[in-house]
Amino acid sequence: MMRPIGSIAFVAMLLALVLVPWLSPPALIQFGTTTLLLATLAQSWNIIGGYTGYASFGNSVFYGIGGYGTAIAMVQFGLPFGVGILVGAVLAVIFALLLGLPVLRLRGHYFAIATLALAEAMTGVVSNLDIAGRNIGLVLPLRKGDAFFYELSLGLLALATLTVFWISRSRFGFGLIAIREDEDAAGVMGVNTTLYKALAFLLAGFFSALAGGIHAYWITFIDPLSAFDITLNVMMIIMAIFGGAGTVFGPLVGAILLASISELLATEITGMASLFFGLVIVVAVVFMPRGLTDLTRRFPGLGWRYFRENLRLHRL
Amino acid sequence: MSLLLQIVVNGILLGGLYALMALGLALVWGVLNIVNLAHGAFIMLGAYTSYYFFTLLHVDPFAALPLCMLTVFAFGFVLQRYVLNLIVRAPMFNTLLITFGIDVVLTYLAQIVFSADFRVVNPSYAGANFTLLGATIPLVRALAFAMAIALTLTVWLILGHTRLGRAVRACAQNLVAARLYGVEPRTVYALTFGMGAALAGAAGGLYGVVSQINPYIGDPLTAKSFAISIIGGLENPLGVVVGGLFLGILESLTSLYIGSTYTDVASFGVLVLVLITRPRGLLGKTT
Amino acid sequence: MQTILAVDRLTKRFGGLIAVDDVSFELLEGEILGLIGPNGAGKTTVVSLISGTITPSTGKVLFQGAPIAHLPAFRRSRLGIGRTFQLMKPFPGLNVLDNVAVGALFGTGGGKSQLREAREDAAKWLAFVGLGHRERQRADELGGPDRKRLELAKALAMNPRLLLLDEVMAGLHHGEIDEVVSVIRKVQSRGITVLLIEHVMKAIQSLSDRVLVLHHGTKIAEGAPQAVLNDPKVVDAYLGTRRV
Repeated sequence: MMRPIGSIAFVAMLLALVLVPWLSPPALIQFGTTTLLLATLAQSWNIIGGYTGYASFGNSVFYGIGGYGTAIAMVQFGLPFGVGILVGAVLAVIFALLLGLPVLRLRGHYFAIATLALAEAMTGVVSNLDIAGRNIGLVLPLRKGDAFFYELSLGLLALATLTVFWISRSRFGFGLIAIREDEDAAGVMGVNTTLYKALAFLLAGFFSALAGGIHAYWITFIDPLSAFDITLNVMMIIMAIFGGAGTVFGPLVGAILLASISELLATEITGMASLFFGLVIVVAVVFMPRGLTDLTRRFPGLGWRYFRENLRLHRL
Repeated sequence: MSLLLQIVVNGILLGGLYALMALGLALVWGVLNIVNLAHGAFIMLGAYTSYYFFTLLHVDPFAALPLCMLTVFAFGFVLQRYVLNLIVRAPMFNTLLITFGIDVVLTYLAQIVFSADFRVVNPSYAGANFTLLGATIPLVRALAFAMAIALTLTVWLILGHTRLGRAVRACAQNLVAARLYGVEPRTVYALTFGMGAALAGAAGGLYGVVSQINPYIGDPLTAKSFAISIIGGLENPLGVVVGGLFLGILESLTSLYIGSTYTDVASFGVLVLVLITRPRGLLGKTT
Repeated sequence: MQTILAVDRLTKRFGGLIAVDDVSFELLEGEILGLIGPNGAGKTTVVSLISGTITPSTGKVLFQGAPIAHLPAFRRSRLGIGRTFQLMKPFPGLNVLDNVAVGALFGTGGGKSQLREAREDAAKWLAFVGLGHRERQRADELGGPDRKRLELAKALAMNPRLLLLDEVMAGLHHGEIDEVVSVIRKVQSRGITVLLIEHVMKAIQSLSDRVLVLHHGTKIAEGAPQAVLNDPKVVDAYLGTRRV
C-alpha cells in the first residue's frame, strides 16, 4: 500500500492533470487528449492481454465500433453525444460477446491471429454499410472546446484504471491471473474460465469503445481506415507491455513515456512514430519483455545483468 | 456456365500464387514455431526487387525470380541469425510482437526509400492471353501459377528428402538431440527462416507482374497467408496448396456473386470460421 | 458409511485406444482408496474423468448421489472435488501464498469472496503441509518436494470433500515420503475422502483402507491392501508373465 507521501504526490499529480487545459497551450492539450485516449486503450488491453493472458491483436475493433456507434447515433438519428457514446459501448459489448465466445476458445497465437483477422475484416465490412457512410465515412457535429474532450478522456482513463485496480485486488482478478498462468489448472481449481474470459474481453471492449466514441466526436470525423486502424493495436500493446502488462500503472507509464518520446521525434517527419514504435518493440521484447515495472523492480538488484538474463533465458 | 468456369479458373490461378505466398509462412511456422507477422513485408521486398531489376536492368521478371529469392533470403537469414534467434525460446507472444515491430519498421522504410507511388512490372508479353477449355487465361498468370506450384513441390521435396531437410526437421522436434548430432541450430534456424523469406520473395516477384506494388501490400498479404496456412493446416506441407486454391476460388466467387469489396470479408470470415470449428485446418485431424 | 463417489461402467476411448474399460467402483466417505497399476494402466485417466478434465465415452460418475459426468471441471470443484496433478503446475507468476489462495477463492461452494480471508486460509493450509516458511517465494522457484507440498496445499485450500492425489510421492526419498504420509493421515482425520494414485507401495500399504488395481484400463483386483498386493494377477501385471 502507498505511504502518506506517495498518496499526497499522487493526488497532486492528479490535480495537475485535471488543471492542464487551463495552464497549457492548445497543442499540449491536444497531445494530452490523444495520450489519455491511448493510455485508456493500453489499459483496456491490459485487462484481456495483461491480466488474462489472452493477447488480442484486435481491440481496434471495439475502438472502431464505439466510434461508429457514436457517429451513427448522432448523425443518422440526431441523438445527443451522451446517448451516442452509450450506443457505441453497447454495440461493442454485444460484439465482444457474440464473437468473443467462439474466439476465446482458441489458445495462444491462434487467438491472436483470429483477433487480427477480425480487425482486418472490419474495415471491409463497414465500407459496405450505407448507414456508416461506406468508404467516405461520417462527419459528426462540431463541439468546440478542447478542454471538454481532455477532461472527458481523463475521466475515462481514471475509470479504466480504477477498474484495473479493483481487478488486481479482487476474486475476479485472481481468477483472471490464474487463467493466464495455467488455464487448465484454473478450471480444476474452480474458476469458471469461460465466463471470466468473456467478462474480461467485454470489459476491454467496453473501455476501448468509449475511447473510440470520444475520439470520433473530438475530431468530428470517422471513416473505416481511421476507425479500425491496425497500428492502434501495435501502440496499445507495446504501451501496455513496455510499461508492464498485468500491473495497474504499467500501461499508463508506458503510454505517457512512449507517446511523449514519439511526439518529440515526430516533429516534421510524419510516420516517424511508426518507426519509433517498431524499434521500441524489437528492443523491448528482446531486452525487457516484462516491461518497465519489472525492470525498475529488478534493475537495482541485478544491474545490467538484468538484460543479459533476459537474453540468456530466451535465446537459441 | 462459361462465366462460372472463367471465375473458377481465375480463382485457381490466383490460388496458386496465394499458395506460394503462404508457403514461406507455413514453413517457418510449422517447423520453427515462429509466427512471422512481417511475412507480407518480405513479399513486398521481393516485389520491389523484381521491379528494380526490371526497370533499371531490364531483367525479365521471371528470370529475376532467383535474384529476388536470393536477396530476400539473405535478408531473412541475417534477421533470424542476429535478431530473432534471441527470442526463440521466449513465449510465443514475444515472437508475434517482435515480428509485428519488424513489419512496422520495414513498411516505414519502404515508404521512405521507394515512395508510396504505385508501381507495376510490365513485361512486353503482359497482355498476352490464351484460351483453354473456353476460359481466357492471361499468360503471366499462368506462368506465375506454374512457378508457384513448382516451387511448392521443390520445397516439399527438399524438406522430406535431403540432408538439410532432415536437419531442419530434427531441430524442429528436439533441439538438444539435434545439437548432439552435430547440427548447429542457430544456423539451421537462420537457413530455414531464410528459405521462408526466399519463398516470400519469389511470391513477391510474381505478385509484381499480376498486381500493383506499393509499400503497404504487406499486411493484407500476411493476413491472407495466415488464412491459407490455417485453412490448409500446418501438418501437411501440401496443405498450403489446398488452402491457397480454396481461398483463391472463394475470393473469385465472392467477387462475382457478392461484390468485389467483400473479398476480404469473405476470406477473413472463413479464417475465423475455420479457427473456431477446425483449428487444425481442413486437412488436419480433429483434436 | 455413506458412498461419496460411485463410478459405474466408466469407459474412455481416445480414437482407437481404450484407456479406461468398463470400470466400476465405489468410494466410502472418509476412506482412503489406493489406486495402483503399471504405467499406462489408466489411473490418471480415471482421476481426470472424475475431476472433469475429460468426459467419459460411456458410463456414469456419481458424486454424493448426483451424476456429474457431464459437468465442467470447475463445477465439480465447486461441489467439492479437489485434485493434484502428476506434472505439478504451480501458477508461475504468483508467489506460494497466492497460489494456494486461488484454491481458497474458488473452492467448494464457490470459495471465499474476499482476498484477505482467502490469503489467511492459504497461510493455514501452507502451515498444514509444512510450507509456511515459503509463503512469499515465487512458486516456480520451489524444488521438487516443495512443489508437491504446494500442489497438496492448493487442493486442500479448496476445502474438498473428495481429494484425488496423483502420485504425490514420486521422486521423494524415504523421509519425505513419511512426511507426506503423515500429512495425508491428517487430511483423512478431517473427514476428507482420499483417492490415492501411487507407485510407492509402502505408502499404499500404510495409508489405504482399500486398494484397487487397474491394468490395461480394466479393474483386475479390489480389496484390502495385503490381499490385493499378494494377488497373483496383480503380481503378474506388474512383473509381466514369466517365460521360463
